[in-house]
Amino acid sequence: CMHGPTACHVPSLADLFDRVIQHSARMHSLSNDLHSEFEQYFLPSKNHIGKIYRKCHTSNILTPNGKENAQKLAREELTEVILKLLMAWRDPLFQLHESMAHQQDFNSFSSNKALKMGDMVHELRKGVEKIAEKMRVLGMLGNSIPALSSREAMLPVSESEEAMSDYELLYCFRRDSNKVQNYLKILKCRIIPEHDC
Amino acid sequence: SWMSYIVCHYPPGRPRLTRCRSPEKETFTCWWETGSSGRLPTSHHLYYRKESSAEVFECPDYHSAGNNSCYFDKRHTLIWIIYNITVVASNALGKTYSDSVEVDVMDIVQPHPPENVTVSLIQAENNVYILVRWEPPRDADTRSGWVTIKYEIRIKLENSTENSNSWESYSAGKQLEFSIYSPQPGASYLIQVRCKLDQGQWSEWSSFAFIQIPDRTSDNAVMIF
Repeated sequence: CMHGPTACHVPSLADLFDRVIQHSARMHSLSNDLHSEFEQYFLPSKNHIGKIYRKCHTSNILTPNGKENAQKLAREELTEVILKLLMAWRDPLFQLHESMAHQQDFNSFSSNKALKMGDMVHELRKGVEKIAEKMRVLGMLGNSIPALSSREAMLPVSESEEAMSDYELLYCFRRDSNKVQNYLKILKCRIIPEHDC
Repeated sequence: SWMSYIVCHYPPGRPRLTRCRSPEKETFTCWWETGSSGRLPTSHHLYYRKESSAEVFECPDYHSAGNNSCYFDKRHTLIWIIYNITVVASNALGKTYSDSVEVDVMDIVQPHPPENVTVSLIQAENNVYILVRWEPPRDADTRSGWVTIKYEIRIKLENSTENSNSWESYSAGKQLEFSIYSPQPGASYLIQVRCKLDQGQWSEWSSFAFIQIPDRTSDNAVMIF
């Protein structure tokens, strides 16, 4: 802090949560936009959805599929789920960008969204790690988050036999980014219920 | 004779799933339209399968959401999972299957409208404004972080023509009240509120709230400065 403590605003935990939640909302809405652009380009008939059997590469990360399940998870577990999801997405999103950049069907505006999402998922992960660290320092979180201790332990996500199509990838990201946003909000309201909950 | 049975009666017409809606991301309902009855008593059943499972279940509740509907309570509702849903119409001559529909609860979120919308006229110093207040739909849990709610308000002069352009809309964010300044003296206004959860669809508009602005309200106001 160059100008002394009064000139520096140290963000509170609530501020940090608001930032990552806003960031995750933006990321999800970008994935929504890109997903519907995909549907417009490639899937003009509305009854396509049944044809695709989706198995997301993140499907072996156990995530709560409802409010009560999410609320039952310990803070540590919920934080870990969020970090695992975020870690699993950076590379696939850059691959998605590469693949889209090589297709004529997309304007650069669309493929840049994929790139942007890749950056956002990375920034978001750093933000959530910062929050986890802060919570740990404040004694709100145990030390038992593997994501913070051994990062390697978290990385192996299912290596799917065949590569997912761009559309499937986007479908999965849209879902996962919605999960992340929701879990972050649940976590925030659990930890600082007095702050806007 | 069985000849006339075949000539005059048919298997049922094809039913069609029309929509599914989750008001709070914790339960959902799907509705369908029936096809022709084939002039025989016809029954309808809804079956569903959840993503990455081959097991088929029947609708858990045909009654709570009215005719031709299936209600999935909390116990039967998961989010971020695709439900593959089909309706089957059966009569004595056979069965007809609807097209199946795939839904994820995250994509069918539409809350109920806000409740208890009230309006009052606030006269403060030389400033008159309409204060609109409302309550969230009772089933939306906005405290736990599970849903984030946003509101929108619209207002129009009561006697304006039936033309949607005459509405003025304002977004109110998460607040449960909103002030509308400078109402016309002597005018009557209709006001409605609607809401939306996360990135879902807007609810229907609430019922109307009505307010009459007194004539020339500022006449008695004392200008101090």
